[in-house]
Amino acid sequence: MAIYSLYVLSKDDPEARGWLEMFRRHGHEALKDFIMERVYWLEGDVNLDRLRPLLVNPLYQTAAEQSQLDPTRGPILEVAYLPAVTDPETPSILEAAQALGERGLEFARLGRRYQFCGLDEGLAQRLAARFLYNKVVERMRRPGEIFQTLRPTGTPEPVRTIPLAGLDDAALLQLSRERSWYAPLSQLKVIQAHEISRGRPHTDAELEILVQSWSDHCYHTTWKSLGLLKRLSAATERMQHPLVVSAFEDNAGGMEFYEDYVITLKGETHNFPSSIAPFGGVATKHGGVIRDTLGFGQGAYPIGGTTLMGTMDPRVAEDQVPPGALHPQLILTESIRATSAYLNPMGIPMRHAVYRCHPGYAKCLALGHSVGLIPAKYARKERPRPGDCAVLIGGETGRDGIHGATASSTGMTAATQEREFAAVQIGHPITERRFATAIPVLRDADCLRAITDLGAGGLSSAAGEMAADSGVSVELDRVPLKDKSLTAWEILLSESQERMLLVVPPEKMGQANTILDRFEIPHAEVGRFTDSGRMEAIWRGEKVVDLEMGFLWGACPLEPIATEEPKRHLAPLAIAEPETAVQWSRAVDAVLSHYHCCDQSAAGTRFDTTVQGRTVVGLLEGRNHSMPTHLSVSAPLYGKPYGVVTTVAFNPFYGDIRPSAAARLMVIEAITKAVAAGASYREMVLCDNFYTPRLTPGVAWDLVQMVEAIAELSVELGVPFISGKDSSSGTFEAAGLRIDVPMTLVVAAMARVPDVSKIVTPEFKRPGNSLVLVADLSRGALGGSVYADVHGQRGDSIYDSGLAADVRARWDAVLALHSRGGYVSASGIAEGGLALRLFEAAFGSGLGARVECLRDGDGHHDGFFFGEFTGGILLEVDPETELDKVLAGIPYHVIGEVTAEPRLLLNEGEKILWSESVSALAEKWHSTFREALE
Amino acid sequence: MTSRVAVLYAPGTNCHEETIAAIERAGGRAELVLLKELMAAETRLMDYGAAIIPGGFSYGDHLGAGRIFGRMLVARLGEQLSQFLDAHRPVLGICNGFQALAEAGILPQVRLGRQAMALLANQSARFEDRKVRLLVTGESSIWTEGLAGEVLHMPSAHGEGRVFFPQDQSPPRVAFRFADANRKPASAYPDNPNGSPEAIAGVVDATGLVLGLMPHPERASLPAHYSQDGLKIFRNLVRWLAD
Repeated sequence: MAIYSLYVLSKDDPEARGWLEMFRRHGHEALKDFIMERVYWLEGDVNLDRLRPLLVNPLYQTAAEQSQLDPTRGPILEVAYLPAVTDPETPSILEAAQALGERGLEFARLGRRYQFCGLDEGLAQRLAARFLYNKVVERMRRPGEIFQTLRPTGTPEPVRTIPLAGLDDAALLQLSRERSWYAPLSQLKVIQAHEISRGRPHTDAELEILVQSWSDHCYHTTWKSLGLLKRLSAATERMQHPLVVSAFEDNAGGMEFYEDYVITLKGETHNFPSSIAPFGGVATKHGGVIRDTLGFGQGAYPIGGTTLMGTMDPRVAEDQVPPGALHPQLILTESIRATSAYLNPMGIPMRHAVYRCHPGYAKCLALGHSVGLIPAKYARKERPRPGDCAVLIGGETGRDGIHGATASSTGMTAATQEREFAAVQIGHPITERRFATAIPVLRDADCLRAITDLGAGGLSSAAGEMAADSGVSVELDRVPLKDKSLTAWEILLSESQERMLLVVPPEKMGQANTILDRFEIPHAEVGRFTDSGRMEAIWRGEKVVDLEMGFLWGACPLEPIATEEPKRHLAPLAIAEPETAVQWSRAVDAVLSHYHCCDQSAAGTRFDTTVQGRTVVGLLEGRNHSMPTHLSVSAPLYGKPYGVVTTVAFNPFYGDIRPSAAARLMVIEAITKAVAAGASYREMVLCDNFYTPRLTPGVAWDLVQMVEAIAELSVELGVPFISGKDSSSGTFEAAGLRIDVPMTLVVAAMARVPDVSKIVTPEFKRPGNSLVLVADLSRGALGGSVYADVHGQRGDSIYDSGLAADVRARWDAVLALHSRGGYVSASGIAEGGLALRLFEAAFGSGLGARVECLRDGDGHHDGFFFGEFTGGILLEVDPETELDKVLAGIPYHVIGEVTAEPRLLLNEGEKILWSESVSALAEKWHSTFREALE
Repeated sequence: MTSRVAVLYAPGTNCHEETIAAIERAGGRAELVLLKELMAAETRLMDYGAAIIPGGFSYGDHLGAGRIFGRMLVARLGEQLSQFLDAHRPVLGICNGFQALAEAGILPQVRLGRQAMALLANQSARFEDRKVRLLVTGESSIWTEGLAGEVLHMPSAHGEGRVFFPQDQSPPRVAFRFADANRKPASAYPDNPNGSPEAIAGVVDATGLVLGLMPHPERASLPAHYSQDGLKIFRNLVRWLAD
């Protein structure tokens, strides 16, 4: 069949300009120009003139049957998908061509051509390999290469049996390495014994299913072994919280909302893929956690997302980056691009975008949350019944993401980046968007007994977990493939994104198919649920998997994990307190321009915050909509006043000092931020996301302490955890160097409020109002603070926010004040302390503040101004307020007043310690993140 | 004549729910109409009093923002559309819908299949999420009836919104311009988030019935929103449909 080519150039291409600037910033000043050309290859009996209007807009594009690039200007590289892989745009082209009446088009492919004017071929190739294509699914085409056909081609490997009997320990481990299983010896030996007892060797498909089902990522072996997996859910159960609908039992947690709705929350990390291929890794981080919402109960609808990234400092020199790790700046910029490229097309409003750095994040932290909405009557799954249909919907299955589960369960080394590239998935939000629209329709038509997403471990995990108590038989030949060379185990384990598995009662199949067709969602009935108690898979007429569910889910050995309190090498803070105005000025500038405190809107403004028309308070509000709110409020039911409030707490510094105390502070910080806005902690739930290094006895000890601490605290505070996720693989190893992530816990809080119009935002409202700091200043709060970090120190203790009962009493007092409209602006103290709160509130209002500089418990002025008194709240109240009455028994301090002049002023009695205009402060605050991106 | 508003949907559309909510808030009735159903003649455009193409990333923005949607309109619904427009029924394209109208050759003038304007990638080469001010011009249109000279506050969120017109054609009828704090047309970023020349944010055809704009009036229409200025545009539609 004839293959036609059409080369398309855009006359005006800001993307190409963006790349040009980026490459030049990265030291390739020799690059004079960078040009991007698209090429369409079209196979069939095609009338090019009829297709042209689809492929070319003559207003700003030119097209020709030969390349329009002048080869003398520099090397041209051509990138296309591998022959076995279908381009994401191919279905759109075929669909549109068909609709336009061009029926002769049988297949289409796209190529991207890059011209590097002024660089040599070798350098161009290296840059392209690093930035412009993903060799798992794409390749560079040789000049003059001719296609025989465009259709995906390739032949699968046959299924093999792999006998383990007779292999000694070394041989087992060798095999495990060779096949990228990363399985511990104890598991391999259990499988070996199983082979002997059942009398036949396992197929490669069975072995692959076993090792990935038992990986830490899927089975949480570390947490189970430490007895932690049920710790938080047990604490939640003990609370008997009246609003908790579903905790730790489904893909997300659910909380009762209003008018018979439930809101859901889930956070997922995707650290490993994001470290080696940030664009794909971060895009699929969002895709995955959104599917956790879609896969909640019988299908919830995603109404909000977050992105939280922890990297090394993006401003470090190239030679400070460990070999084999990507430069943190690349991780940062690619992650922003990926979040923009995934969440925006999904039409999901961004609720929180937070970027932090720590030298330990060589293997980065990539976390995303998803908030969902579902009618209460669909909030619980039913168990599959024998005869129910297993329906796979969404994208086709390909080679992407194979071994993601096992690879992400291991540490990361210099070699990982190369070897495990296949573990990185490719994201196609258009596919997920289609079923996000259709799932609520299927649900409301009672077509779904249950639904789950295909994430780590792919079809094998999804079907295996759903059928754990019954059984399932899958026909792999029915799975639609985008890569014809996939063999059975690859089909089972593929982590191709944007797929979900539905459990549809057989009598509902007709209606389900109609709805799926209506919304143009590819679907295939790939199997049936059974009562066999087995997981079975048929491929090409052969039974290639036949495993007892009892063995699959019950036989994984847990290795005992030693724990021992680690020795910490901590030094007390030694910071000279500022004495002169110049010293104060220097200190304030350093804190406000610190990476954790600075203006991160250069990222935030790339994410849609108002899509869905539910947003009440977004990332940036106040005057000119440019003040960070650290708060997100939405009104999910159109026309109703009910609100969902979310906050997050993510501080990588505290964990360096005392992980269990740091974990407590994260819980208190997240809740306090929401309480300050007027959300009751009694109608609030939490989500935990742990990111900890690969286990050593010390790490294990800390991890246990952290989980114990927050489990207890959640009960004492009466705020339950309803979902969470653990990752215990935060270690990077290279050249004898081991880099551990800091012991990290990120906490997200979600509350319901009866009336969004009562929410109080942080920006100052009226000159003359009093500023009140509700906080216990009797202890120091500089340990682990941003202020300490700017002095290159950590300290040897972190703030103790006191007994849970005292924290609750403070919240209760603030909420009581809120209920009578007693304050007009508020924010919870977090990183940057009072200094950052005052600055942001002033910046967001065009007003200023005069503040009396008190002293912290250690007698320090700087400790007062920069101390991170977690659980503390800054309030703006009418000066006539009788605070003695409303805050009786609560530690509070009237610290100053709001001023009309946009200036911050710090005084001690008559003496002015420091004063600066808000606009001058803003300049420093604006610049850091922009510089980090460039 | 029917007073129902058709809110068109293609795979990738993602602003249909809030657009329907905004029309209902304005007192109108709206229904989701799938492009696929129109093409299969399961439903007819003429059954509706007005049509709105909401925002999103139809067909994943593949081949160009709004390209496939626009070409589908021309190739498959050209006759229905002409009939609809000839019957003086209003059409609104918001964000991706505006891009589709431009790709279809429905704006700046109705000349199906012949593009005379384009919405190019933002000058910043980035998606820009901003809350903008829109200055309503004096060009007459059923959508902006009685609003001339007002500054409307609403969100804007897109990656391709920089208006491009070929030099050799008569100037378009501009319905909205991005404005600065002094209510003057904004040429500077970020008041003008996409770098559109002459701060153009929305264009209306000669009849005043067909409007396209990049910002999102439906996201500034409910009491919970920071502004309800967008509702004024939908109220105008509902009023017009009632007359």
